Formats: sequence, structure tokens, C-alpha cells
Amino acid sequence: MALPLPPGLTQNEVAFLAEMEMVTVVPRQRLDSIDLLGGKTPQLRPPHRAQLPLWLALLLKKQRRANIVPPAWMHPASLAEIIHRETKEDPEAFSPPPPPPSRALYSQPGTARRLNPSYLDDFTQPQQDSQQDPNSILSPPFLPSNVAESPAGYLPYHWLEVAEALLTHAGDDMPAPAGEVRSLLRDLVEVRAAKMRSSTSALEGFGDAYLTLRGVGAMELAENRSFLAGLVDGVRKIGASAEATRREEEEEARRGGDYGGDGDEDSDEDMGL
Amino acid sequence: MSYYDIDAILTDAEKIPCTFQIDVPDLGYLDNQPGHTLKSGSRVALPIWLAEMLAIANTGTVDMDDPSQSSKSFITFDLPPALGNDVVQALKADPRSVPLRDQSAHFYALATHMMELSEEPELSAVLRKTFVSRAAEIALHARKVGGGGSSYHGRDGGGAGGKGKGKATKDDNASNLGVGGAGEDFLRGLDEWERKLFRSAHDGTKASKEWMENVKKR
Repeated sequence: MALPLPPGLTQNEVAFLAEMEMVTVVPRQRLDSIDLLGGKTPQLRPPHRAQLPLWLALLLKKQRRANIVPPAWMHPASLAEIIHRETKEDPEAFSPPPPPPSRALYSQPGTARRLNPSYLDDFTQPQQDSQQDPNSILSPPFLPSNVAESPAGYLPYHWLEVAEALLTHAGDDMPAPAGEVRSLLRDLVEVRAAKMRSSTSALEGFGDAYLTLRGVGAMELAENRSFLAGLVDGVRKIGASAEATRREEEEEARRGGDYGGDGDEDSDEDMGL
Repeated sequence: MSYYDIDAILTDAEKIPCTFQIDVPDLGYLDNQPGHTLKSGSRVALPIWLAEMLAIANTGTVDMDDPSQSSKSFITFDLPPALGNDVVQALKADPRSVPLRDQSAHFYALATHMMELSEEPELSAVLRKTFVSRAAEIALHARKVGGGGSSYHGRDGGGAGGKGKGKATKDDNASNLGVGGAGEDFLRGLDEWERKLFRSAHDGTKASKEWMENVKKR
């Protein structure tokens, strides 16, 4: 039986994966640490904040055992700044993703290093968090981009899913009325959708052309994936025969060069008449 | 294109104008002269799958006395009227206003196939630009028809007048009724490739909308 869905993730699947993101939580009751596959959750001792995966945070919120602290980028001022950047300052590209986390780790205050070093970094410094392999470069949802301390003014990869989840289930924890944040989010969705559509014009030029999708969120990707793939495939098919001809000519030129410009393998048998 | 692909089969059934290079006895009925020989030089419209084979094949004879008679191909063909010069000029002027479906329901597939058979660099460049600019328009309509929210951006004020939220019928035409006048004309003029693009854009928008509605229910 053929699967009717297009290739890639659906919106529900993306939202499900987004629930792995870490958020900051203010517990209201004590809770011991739970052994999860990814590691142990921290012990919850009110009123200290802790970082938990979103799904667990939502569960506790529903049970009224915790409050969720919204990330800094969700503040209306931050969202307004992002909208301004999207529309006025840089109408072509999407707003950049948050910078890689290089904040101080809570366990060792006073030090600031990248939490996910690349393999080029120096490893002589002692490993701070035993759970993290120095060679791994973290990607969402494992980047800590939705905790309270995340930098404002940048949209992380799962911005829409996390924002909607928090607005729906933890609306009372927001710094501003949920309606205001929601309308700003809707505006942002429309602006970026329009940008995604107009970014396809980069493919019009002849020769190699590409779309830059840096800074695009997960939900936007899920929405536009099949359209963009179809578009790029169509462009490929239209140019297929010209491309094939070009390749043949290149092959000819290369082979001709190898044989010293002659390219004639029968030159030994040629009588020269 | 693959052997079993329906679109490829339908594309190959399109007719292109061909000129016979040889006399063929008993085929006169193709030129409204049944019973007579089909003379060399007569123009007949043949489907691509046939024209392709006949154009590539040749008589295979070698005539020593008259070299021009040896190994002639049976026919030569031209571009179909759908890819004629006036269409190309219209596409160069304004890609979005040309109803491609009126030229051929498989416009792009037809053009791609013809480009495989003969070199057409200008056509290739024009088509690429056409496809990309129409695709942007398609995405716009898909968002509107899918019950898109408030248009925040001021880029297109016109286009589909009332955002008629006509029900998205599930028939495979996918050109939803209920969009305002100009939008409807545009959507009616889409060829098969563009219809597929429209459907995928529309499905994406619809799924996103549904997800947003359902977040509350979780």
C-alpha cells in the first residue's frame, strides 16, 4: 500500500520532535531525578529553576507541579525586533539562527566556553560535562535554545512549535498577554512564508543557482518541503538536456586534451596520405 | 521519463508537425488522399513516440551514384505549435499571464522532451525563468486558497480579490473554486507539473493550518 504522505516529516511529527527541547522550569513541588534514556533529569527543589525537556515540563504544568519560564526570545519586545529585522533590515534572507551557546555552564560559574565544540577545538581543557562527547556538534533539539537564558532576538529552529505549545499550555506564565504574543507570532509566520516564496526567484538565473535557507524553522520546512523539492526538480528536468550536452562537451574537451589535441586513437595506423 | 509513467505516456501522445522525406506507398490516407502514395515533402502531424522513432531511423541504403539518396531519415520534425515563437515571446514578456494549459496540458513535459531531441538553448532559458516565476505565483495562490491568514506583507494587494474560503474539494483537479477572478484564471491555466506543485504547496499550508488549530486540543 503506497503511503499517501509526501516524503519528509509531517507537522505533527515535527511538533513531537520539538518536545525534546529543553526549557526552564520553576517547580512547585519537590521531585526526584528521573532516569531517562538521555540522562537523568535534575532534582527539582523549589524554588530553584531547572531545565527539563519540554514534554516533561508540559506534563508537570498540567499537573500544576511546575511553572514554565518562557525563553527570552519569546518576549514581545524581542519578537517585535525580529519582525523589524525580517521586514526592514534584511528582506531577502531569513533572520539568523541563534549563536552557538557559549555561555557559562551552571556547574562552573565564571568560565565561558562553547557547549558544543567542533573537532577543531582544543581538547586539552578538562571536560566539564561528562555526558557530552567533545567531538559531537549539537543540533536542535539538543541545543539549549529555549531555556530562559537563551539569547533574545534570535529564532531557534523549533521556534513555532515551542512557542505554540507554551502559549497553549502555559499561557499564564508569559511575560505579556498571550493574545499579544500570539498575534506577533502570526505576523512572523506570514512574513517568513512570504519570504520563502520570494526566495525561489534565486533559481531563475542560468547555471548553478541555490536557495539559502539559513535560519528557517522546522515547521516552515515541513510545510514547504514538498513544494521546494518539486520546484527544484522541475528546474532540473528543464535543464537536463542542456546539462547533458554540456557534460558531453566537457568530456570531449578533456579527452581531446589528454591525447595532445588529436584525440584520434587510430593515428598509428594512419598512413598519413 | 520512465516507461510506465502516465504523464510520460500522455506527453508522448502529443502531436508534432513532421515532413516526410520519402515517398511511402499506401499511406496517402494520412494526407486525405486514400489509396494514393504519400509524397515526399508532405506535412503530417504525428505523435511524438512515432515521430521520434521515424526521425532517428533512416533508410539504411547506400546509393553510390547519388549520395544524397543514401541513408535519409524518414521524416524531419519541427517544434509543435505549443512551443512556437509567439508563445515563447509571450512567455518572455510576462510568464504569469500566459495560460499554459491552453497550449498543452503537458507543456513542460512536452518542451523537455523536444529539448532532448533537438538543441534549443533559448527555449531552455525561457522555460526555466517561466517555471520559477510561475511557481512563486502558485505558492501565493496555494496559501490564499488554503484559507491563509491575514496577509501581513503588502507585496500583493491584488490577486485573488475576496479570499473566498471555498471548500477545498478533493478532486484531482485541485484548482479550488472560490478564489477571486484573476486568481481563478491563473489556476485554470496551469499545466500538469504546475498542478502538482500547487497541490503540494496547498497540502503543506493546509497541514500547517490544521496543526495550529489542533495545538489546543493536545
